[in-house]
Amino acid sequence: MNNKLLVICASTLIVILTYWVTYGFWFITGNAPTFVGIIIVSATIFYYIDAAKSGKEIYLRPISGLKAIEEAVGRATEMGKSVLFVPGISDMDQVDTVAGINILGHVAEITAKYETELNVPTCRAIVMESARESCRESYLRAGRPDLYYDDMVHYISDDQFAYAAGVNGIMIREKPAACFYQGKFYAESLLLAETGNSIGAIQIAGTGSASQIPFFVTACDYTLIGEEFFAASAYLSNKPELIGSIKGQDIVKLMVMILMTGIFVLDIFRQMGLIDFNILILLGLN
Amino acid sequence: MDLLKKIFIALGSMDRRFIFLLVGLSVLLPKLYPDLFTLPIKPSSHSLRVFDEIDALEENSKVLVSFEYGPSTKPEIHPSAIALLNHLFSKNIKIYAVALWPDGNFMATEAFSQVSDKYGKKYGIDFVNLGYKPGGEAVVKGLASDIRTMYTVDLLGNDIDSIQMMQGVSNLSDLDFIFSLSAGYPGSKEWVQFACDPLGIPMSTACTSIQVTDIIPYVENNQIKGILSGMPGAAEYEQLVQSALYDRSVTVEPGKASINMAAQSMAHVVIVLLIILGNITYYLTRKSSNKGGI
Amino acid sequence: MFLKRQMPAIIAIGVGLFILFGHFINNPNIQGFVNNDATQWFDIIASFAIFLGALNMLKLQVVKVVKRSKGWQYSLLAIFGFAFAIFAGFFFRGANYITLTEINPHKVNILVEYISTIQEVDDPVLMASRIEGSLASYEIPKIFISKATAESFAVSLSSIANNVTLGVKPWGAHVQIKGSLFSWMFFKIFTPLSSTMFALLAFFVASASYRAFRIRNFEATLLLVSGIILMIGRVPVGELVPWWLVSTLIVFGIGALIAPFIPNKKLLFGIIIGGITLSSGIGVLLDWNLAVNIPGFLSLPNISEWIFDYPTAAGSRAIMIGIALGTIATSFRIILGIEKPF
Repeated sequence: MNNKLLVICASTLIVILTYWVTYGFWFITGNAPTFVGIIIVSATIFYYIDAAKSGKEIYLRPISGLKAIEEAVGRATEMGKSVLFVPGISDMDQVDTVAGINILGHVAEITAKYETELNVPTCRAIVMESARESCRESYLRAGRPDLYYDDMVHYISDDQFAYAAGVNGIMIREKPAACFYQGKFYAESLLLAETGNSIGAIQIAGTGSASQIPFFVTACDYTLIGEEFFAASAYLSNKPELIGSIKGQDIVKLMVMILMTGIFVLDIFRQMGLIDFNILILLGLN
Repeated sequence: MDLLKKIFIALGSMDRRFIFLLVGLSVLLPKLYPDLFTLPIKPSSHSLRVFDEIDALEENSKVLVSFEYGPSTKPEIHPSAIALLNHLFSKNIKIYAVALWPDGNFMATEAFSQVSDKYGKKYGIDFVNLGYKPGGEAVVKGLASDIRTMYTVDLLGNDIDSIQMMQGVSNLSDLDFIFSLSAGYPGSKEWVQFACDPLGIPMSTACTSIQVTDIIPYVENNQIKGILSGMPGAAEYEQLVQSALYDRSVTVEPGKASINMAAQSMAHVVIVLLIILGNITYYLTRKSSNKGGI
Repeated sequence: MFLKRQMPAIIAIGVGLFILFGHFINNPNIQGFVNNDATQWFDIIASFAIFLGALNMLKLQVVKVVKRSKGWQYSLLAIFGFAFAIFAGFFFRGANYITLTEINPHKVNILVEYISTIQEVDDPVLMASRIEGSLASYEIPKIFISKATAESFAVSLSSIANNVTLGVKPWGAHVQIKGSLFSWMFFKIFTPLSSTMFALLAFFVASASYRAFRIRNFEATLLLVSGIILMIGRVPVGELVPWWLVSTLIVFGIGALIAPFIPNKKLLFGIIIGGITLSSGIGVLLDWNLAVNIPGFLSLPNISEWIFDYPTAAGSRAIMIGIALGTIATSFRIILGIEKPF
């Protein structure tokens, strides 16, 4: 068996044992399933990050939306138009926004390489600052710091619909050839996507807001659904540690599916009277 | 036949502004001629559940109503708020209002000013508005542990300990029910995750139609007792409250959601007809291009 | 370089690990920080950060006005709106009120009449009884934006009460009080604008549905059919759709599914007609025309409710779990310093 796997398994067991022994003393009561879940998930993701860094080949299925990013920026360059990037309407405390800023970094690097204009209207001041840092870094990495200027990332309004109105106005006036919607969105998603459609822009969307995914799927050319959006930064960077975390995430999902199926079957058996013990109470889920 | 096909194909490629015009007319005409467009409103099982839960509360129960919507979603959720306040005030239930959105303050103020006078309810005795606090789920967690860590004064600047109905209420566990009027984040999900489920406090919600898919798993799991989904849910609840209050000799005007349902129905019918038209055109266009290929 | 690269990473990793494991540690100070203080720190930072955004927005608009760029008039409007909101929120309270003390009980009805001249009174009898219950001190339920208006109204009330005093609502509360300048701006300007933007969605949903809901393949057809059922079933019009129409559509749907397996079109047509006749006949025999005992699957509202309760809930749960896992993995990468969006 792999040494590293042994080390990780042993560490996980030690942490869980420590938690169990000091439960109620060092650790508060009532959170045991959450704690154990976090440790197992962390250990799994950590193992695969390590495996990827050691050179293990990890296959990730192609995601058309991510492959289309460079194509979209190229299209904007050929048409002599700008690229619009909308990082959502939430603040940096939402992971969706963080994921969106990661993708912005990659898009900014491509626009720097192609010398295409980039416009990033933001809904929150902190997001504006983070996005500026990300763009500045990307332009520096691409060797074109001269093309970067602060006002390419600008603030519009904190209010959802005032922001949507502002972005729609930018789209209709400046007619960008490529529009990226990557972040947390609410009801304004369809307003943005339809306006982008009306100006003939190529649109690539990605969000963790489950209720907005159908609107983006309907109106955009490419949509990153759910986890694809969070995996985008790993895909685009091609860094082994990031790709390893995607694999770890998938293994965790497999574990969750097996656990759900097992609990479902055991509970059916209990309800049929075939077994006595209640798996839900055992796992602290009831 | 060919002429008919040509008409359909021409209709299928119409400018989107004609679509906007048709949708606009489908909403405007029922508003201008309401008598021509009266439709029966039958409550769904989810709306009935909400009504039954509220109706089962006893007099002088304590209910927290959280306002998490703004002017943009007011048409969908405000009618639910008005109907809810009518329902609660008619049963002499004490209402504790909070807001997780800044706009929620204005919505709460307006809702109370519309309803409280009719039942002779007094501020501080029958209802209190604690106002907005930033922080989202942190506010919910704070309220779950100790209300006074979050609020020291109410919306009007009154010391919370000087308010009669705040006596004996130290955290959410002292309340009997929570109702979330939610249009997004923070909203119903945060109430379920950080207050109602951990503390076992029953909860219902009224939310926008878009949000229903996010909330329905909690309703199916019985973590949320019923849901008023968007304007249709609000209209159904208004009808239930109106007929219940009529039986108790209290007259309530028809709610805004019920009045607007005709307009919404017509808009939906127009959209469905447009979709069918679009598909006929798509089929005819594909058929003629296939024939051309052969 | 340390401040720009290593320092932010140290802060992010340190705080991230502390908050994550702080949820489990049995220490009241740590629990207090994790549950309350940490989020409030973020709110305080975000509140101050608003200045950065506001100044940036102002700068861009002012530059447009100064340079007379295309559409500079709209920038002027943006600057005016910004200034007006700041003025109404921070500099001008616009929340004046009048308090009457020792009201003459014989002049209560006159007072109600005076009040009805400045605002709508739904129930004069109720208002009169309220005033009678507060003769010692009564606050007129009207907020005056300008002090001058309040003063001129107060003069007219001098004969009704012994003492008429003018007051101003405290700073902070003035924003929420209905009738104040800020409240007027919120309800008369901001609310219609927000509602209008949200209402645009109705038009965009129509044009998006018209363009996108096409029978291209099985999944698209499923999307189309469930979309139509939900759109009609969720509104009162759904109740008016008769059972025989629904049963006919179901038969057509079954026909569409089996059509690839039946090459003989006449046979297929016969099956569909037979199915429609059979279902209609069963309905008539079982008195479904009387709208009693109609099976649930022939009622569009019931079908739409079933779609909400089962397939939608299941799909929603699956997406939620997937997004939660994605969130965990992304958070893990940030906490470990593998991903540095800052």
